[in-house]
Amino acid sequence: MKESGKPVLPDEELIRSALGGDDEAFRELMERYKGRAYGVAIGIVGDPDEAQDVVQDAFVKAYYRLKDFRFGSNFYTWFYRLLVNQAIDRWRKRSRAPTVSLDESWMSGEGTMPEAVAYPKTPEELAGNRELVEGLSRAIGALPEHHRTVILLREVDGLSYDEIAQVLACSVGTVMSRLHYARAKLREALKEFREG
Amino acid sequence: MDCTNTIRMLQDGIDGRLPSGESEKFRDHLAGCPSCRAEEASLREVGDLLRLWAAVRAREGEPQLNALWTRVKAGIEEGREPWYAAAARRWFWLPVAAAIAVFALLFYPSDGTRAPFHPIHFDVSVETLESDTATVALVDRGKDLPRVIWIIEDAKS
Repeated sequence: MKESGKPVLPDEELIRSALGGDDEAFRELMERYKGRAYGVAIGIVGDPDEAQDVVQDAFVKAYYRLKDFRFGSNFYTWFYRLLVNQAIDRWRKRSRAPTVSLDESWMSGEGTMPEAVAYPKTPEELAGNRELVEGLSRAIGALPEHHRTVILLREVDGLSYDEIAQVLACSVGTVMSRLHYARAKLREALKEFREG
Repeated sequence: MDCTNTIRMLQDGIDGRLPSGESEKFRDHLAGCPSCRAEEASLREVGDLLRLWAAVRAREGEPQLNALWTRVKAGIEEGREPWYAAAARRWFWLPVAAAIAVFALLFYPSDGTRAPFHPIHFDVSVETLESDTATVALVDRGKDLPRVIWIIEDAKS
């Protein structure tokens, strides 16, 4: 039970209500996943305003496609497919150069060289280190789009390999190789940062 | 298990995808090998930092996300069809079917140059009977059509 005393309904029940025309049920679903959705969207598109647009568009699309949802499957896996595709489309439409090398991203003249610091353990600690936040943003942004998406879905959202494969409509083997590449690249970038 | 195998299994180990037997060997090796342990820790660190980074970015966007429902609702309203659109989509076939039927009646089996039910050809024979005051014409238009009689008064049409 929630603090307000309102029962926490399972996703599928909310979906049924939303399909029956109850927009508040859909709102509840949206409230449940908007934070995670935003986390994924900003990881893919990079820009906070664009990430919000992506999340908004994905939820609007989900509203109209809710009738296609197969009961018994996970709502978030189904929704994330819409979200990720929306984010990738948005990112592709933008003309921002996607292939900055990691070294350049960390040492680009646009930002200052981050100083070597002990890695933070909490979001508050990280938020206090803008250089690291921005450096991470650039390093993530420098990853090829599909590698970035895979590592965000795995590490941030905790999706299993199978779920990622479903979301991205690719094989588990592809997920594994992309994840391996993305981790190696980010680790390399963090090493640069540490040795700063 | 040696270092080469352990490094090869790092990703599966981190993601909990190793079979239980392999997983034990993997952990045993890490426990006794500082170099592989450091490798494993550096990969885990990537995930830890990504989660923190995503949390920070999500918090930055939180104030705007509070208004998300208003934006989503507006998007939903914008995409919503007017009330008559669904009915129009449901019954669109009716005028189309009617038009097709009318078209078929107009031209089938004609070659397209005649009105419906207009015989393609028929035999006409005309017989006239003349009297002092009028000319009577009998027009026979075939078996299926009525006989037509014209009576034309002399000097008048």
